[in-house]
Amino acid sequence: MTRQTARQYRMRIWLLMSVYVALIFFVWPYAKTASSLPLRALFALLPTVPVIAVIAVMMRHVMHSDELEQRIHMIALGIAAAIVCGGSLVGGFLAAAHVVPIRGDILLWVFPLVCVSYGVSRWWLARRYGGAGCE
Amino acid sequence: MNNRVRDLREAKGWSQGELGERLDVSRQTVNAIETGRYDPSLPLAFRIARLFRKPIEAIFDPGNE
Repeated sequence: MTRQTARQYRMRIWLLMSVYVALIFFVWPYAKTASSLPLRALFALLPTVPVIAVIAVMMRHVMHSDELEQRIHMIALGIAAAIVCGGSLVGGFLAAAHVVPIRGDILLWVFPLVCVSYGVSRWWLARRYGGAGCE
Repeated sequence: MNNRVRDLREAKGWSQGELGERLDVSRQTVNAIETGRYDPSLPLAFRIARLFRKPIEAIFDPGNE
């Protein structure tokens, strides 16, 4: 991937995440107060649109990466999936046994946790390969 | 696996970035190959060999593996 494309990728991610933050602050609160059920569902689901777009942009980025970068992306995603799945399993069993009360809206943290785990894993792997895959 | 990619690149007077552009990989990937942190796939190894007009075994040496 050329530098220009890497810059475009970062710009797209920032733009989409800015839209997401704006929707969370200015639209999502109406999901609790809107009068009709369809409208509440619409306001509740609207923030998922930029997040799905981010996932699509990330997938395109991985597909256009070279073989070492793809390897780093895939291992990092595997580590992130293992962390989130492991945490979810532990939390799920504890909640099912009524050891800890866990509310349903904790699911909102799954995607951010995947992103953080993936980012840290990718950084660590890139260091192992001498800085590869940092773009 | 040992390789002579750095020597061959320097003999051509190319930077890692220039070699990366010719191979359609990132500069970091070239660096990882040169330092032996990453062994390229067979298709990439063939692209490297073709670029330097050398047989693949003249560039990559599996050593004692």
